[in-house]
Amino acid sequence: MATEADLVRSIDADALAEWVVDQRWFASKARDVTIGLLEVLVLDERPPLGLALVEARFAAGTHDLYQLLVGPGDFEALTSTPQVQALARLLTREARVQGQHGTIAFHWTGERLQAPAVRLLGAEQSNTSIVIDDSAVLKVFRRLEPGDNPELEMLRFLTNHGFDHVPALMGWYALEGELLDATLGVAQEFVHDGHDGWERTLDLLSTEPDRALEDLAELGGVVGRMHSVLGSDITDVDFAPDDPGEEGLALLTATIDEEVERVFLDLPEDLEAVAPIMGRGEEIRDRLQLMSHVVTGGKLIRHHGDLHLGQTLRTGGTDPRWYIIDFEGEPARPLLERRRKRSPLRDVAGMLRSFAYAASASRILRGREAPEGWEAEARARFLDGYITEVDAALLPAGDAGIRQLLAIYELEKAVYELRYELNHRPDWVAIPVAGIARLLEEPLT
Amino acid sequence: MNPSGTHWFETNPLWFKTAVFYEIYLRGFYDGNGDGSGDFRGLTEKLDYLQWLGIDVIWLLPMYASPLRDGGYDISDFYTVHPDYGTIDDVQAFVDAAHERGIRVIADLVMNHTSSDHHWFQESRSSPDNPKRNWYVWSDTYERYQEARIIFTDTETSNWTWDEEAGAYYWHRFFSHQPDLNYDEPAVQEAMLDVLRFWCDIGLDGFRLDAVPYLYEREGTNCENLPETHAFLKRVRKTIDEEYPDKVLLAEANQWPEDVVEYFGDGDECHMAFHFPVMPRMFMSLRREEATPIYEILERTPDIPETCQWGLFLRNHDELTLEMVTDEERDYMYAEYAKDPRMKLNVGIRRRLAPLLDNGRDEIELLHAILFSLPGSPVLYYGDEIAMGDNVYLGDRDGVRTPMQWTGDRNGGFSRADFAQLYAPPLMDPVYGFQAVNVEAQLRTPTSQLRWLRRFIALRKEHPVFGLGTYEPLAPSNPKIFAHIRRFEDDIALCVHNLARSAQAVELDLSAYEGRTPVEMLGRTAFPRIGELPYLLTLAPRGFFWFLLEDRDGDGG
Repeated sequence: MATEADLVRSIDADALAEWVVDQRWFASKARDVTIGLLEVLVLDERPPLGLALVEARFAAGTHDLYQLLVGPGDFEALTSTPQVQALARLLTREARVQGQHGTIAFHWTGERLQAPAVRLLGAEQSNTSIVIDDSAVLKVFRRLEPGDNPELEMLRFLTNHGFDHVPALMGWYALEGELLDATLGVAQEFVHDGHDGWERTLDLLSTEPDRALEDLAELGGVVGRMHSVLGSDITDVDFAPDDPGEEGLALLTATIDEEVERVFLDLPEDLEAVAPIMGRGEEIRDRLQLMSHVVTGGKLIRHHGDLHLGQTLRTGGTDPRWYIIDFEGEPARPLLERRRKRSPLRDVAGMLRSFAYAASASRILRGREAPEGWEAEARARFLDGYITEVDAALLPAGDAGIRQLLAIYELEKAVYELRYELNHRPDWVAIPVAGIARLLEEPLT
Repeated sequence: MNPSGTHWFETNPLWFKTAVFYEIYLRGFYDGNGDGSGDFRGLTEKLDYLQWLGIDVIWLLPMYASPLRDGGYDISDFYTVHPDYGTIDDVQAFVDAAHERGIRVIADLVMNHTSSDHHWFQESRSSPDNPKRNWYVWSDTYERYQEARIIFTDTETSNWTWDEEAGAYYWHRFFSHQPDLNYDEPAVQEAMLDVLRFWCDIGLDGFRLDAVPYLYEREGTNCENLPETHAFLKRVRKTIDEEYPDKVLLAEANQWPEDVVEYFGDGDECHMAFHFPVMPRMFMSLRREEATPIYEILERTPDIPETCQWGLFLRNHDELTLEMVTDEERDYMYAEYAKDPRMKLNVGIRRRLAPLLDNGRDEIELLHAILFSLPGSPVLYYGDEIAMGDNVYLGDRDGVRTPMQWTGDRNGGFSRADFAQLYAPPLMDPVYGFQAVNVEAQLRTPTSQLRWLRRFIALRKEHPVFGLGTYEPLAPSNPKIFAHIRRFEDDIALCVHNLARSAQAVELDLSAYEGRTPVEMLGRTAFPRIGELPYLLTLAPRGFFWFLLEDRDGDGG
């Protein structure tokens, strides 16, 4: 019989601490961090499986919380088949596990599985995924924050409203605990034959760049329809479209303005790749001010929050189809911010930035230059497809308004990318730099 | 989901210790329905702004049904809101929307008395046999409790008023239209606990308890701060703790710190209490260009239980109160800060922060820095973040309660109503008027005070040390410098403020931190390492530095 005490005792605290900070999903880069096991809820006894709340405590006294699934002496039970099977069994049987410090409730829409086949799909920036019975993917979130994870809210809403370009929601599990309520994991339909949209676009760029363009036009339509659905239900307070409010745009530009200021303060002077924008911080900030005067109208809605080609799947076969996945929002932002309603153009901007990345990645990763003008064409085709399908009331009034708001969000995204690349991938810095430089060259309306 | 509606928060019974509070006069914030008065729907529309600003808690002045003869502190029904402000459903929607943005909400609650319009009082006065007769304090004579002082000396001559209908005198510590509830009556205690439960169920995260020292009356005492009062507050605390975790009770007791600490009990009474006396001393230090008044009052402040916190503020909805200063200090404050006699009210000065400081940006920033550096949770007052002014020609305290200035448009963007319909005229003078001072313009100006304050709030929130840490005064030989250390876990913050109008040099004894590197917190610039000798700093006029003392070699200090 495994008890909480047994599981806690079996885990080597030093080894745990060392392992946690090495994980891809560990969000902090801070030097001084103490890792501790806060509590373990016993989920199953044969095989012994526990859900551990792990605290990363920082020097200033703040902390982050993480979810681990643990077995005896093992702090990563997700790599062990019997334990993952146990987790899947609990999920499909809609178990409710009462622990000392809270309750874990599993929810499932499909049929119960006694001995589900399971396999590990992989670890991402914020989660680890497993495939259950070749029909569902369970995404186990790592960093926990209080409240409903946007992925659960978004999938539930889109599934209930019949939007069939997302893999349908099949289940989830959540903690109702003394310390916090949090979504722990979300299961959705497993898309067979689904190819990562990013990889596939790079493949096509080398072989059939025109076909890539056609597919992106179609993707624009899918995103447009998704936004129409997301902005369609005024009875659901979490999804009802909001008016931007008098200072909505000013708040947005003030926030971006400060991000611009900060990133320019930290710009390394000796890096060749940043030369095109070096010393142009003030110019960008002035530009941002000017752009923000043109925009009126439109709505704020729940949206994907981190949309790019890597968040899409394209199926093969005779009836190819786009799927949109990963509705958690940008993992570096707090949950409450990721839930915020914003203009749907924020998603569009994310996707357009992704085309710039694809064009450059073709050279960097595949050694092949994208065809001349491919990025511009991809933008135009995607936008055509998008504008045709999206509910026009969600967008600002007039072409100029749409273009300017889009440019503001692209700038926000490019600045976010710039910071990320400076910290993680100096070889890629040129991509956001080119994006920012291009915004500076564009004529103002 | 836990019962208190804090689904969007981590459980943390000490959340209030690291929070930044923002006090709102609902009538003056934003008019959502175009009737000329601010309301809950309007406030809900402005939550994005408050989230952007970074505040953690909204403190609402009383919003209950009321004849408004005392700014809403005369409550005629604890279970409804004043129709000008909206409905209970509007409150519910507002609280939910605030929580979803990570913002908590507390509200004023008056426990001591009700309005004479309250149906409890109407029933009580109706007959000696009425079941609610004993809910108020009735007497056949006005000669009881003669040692209790009269608080509103301008309007009241006695704490007793004859009621014709009841054929008896009733007791009131404040206005005669505000009869005191009788807490010796168990049914009153239960009724008030039910009021607290009702608002906790809606999701309020706590209460500012108005006028708490006066709940009980006992012959032969001054009827303030009685043991019975503390006993009842402890009962309130126990009830709240058991039924609604993570709430906060904030006591308003304008008294000396050594008396106010009684309201913390042993950590089993109020979570927070305002530190009134430190406030005028910050203003005094600034005028006198010396840190002594601040050092002295903090020296005089007793330690409080670890689970408790001081509420600190520069200005609020009342006059800048001068009750907790000496006569000499009061004369000094009047002479320096209330040159026009119209600016005085009761025992205080009815002006906003910016006009008090002659709209000096350096002075405003310096006082915020001192406020944010002190042990306690800062409470900001709406409008002060954009340096709004006041209107001394409006009566009572209305001059510091003018409409929030959102834009340079009609009515300052506060309301779509006709100008004549507004509850009070917005400021229109060339210095503080809405065309010069408004949220929209300051949002668009990177160097504005609003944008500065947002960055400063964010900085404070990154470092729990300011809410949770020790306070260790440094007492440098230059008396114009207020310098101290805050410490929590591995964070050591050094805060140095120059109160003088001129540049100053100061030598600080930082030998205890030898080997550490001061890193300026706003710009992340590293300063020279701390050595054996006194640490020399130079500060601009009214300038300040906050440093983290970092252990860059990992060998301590």
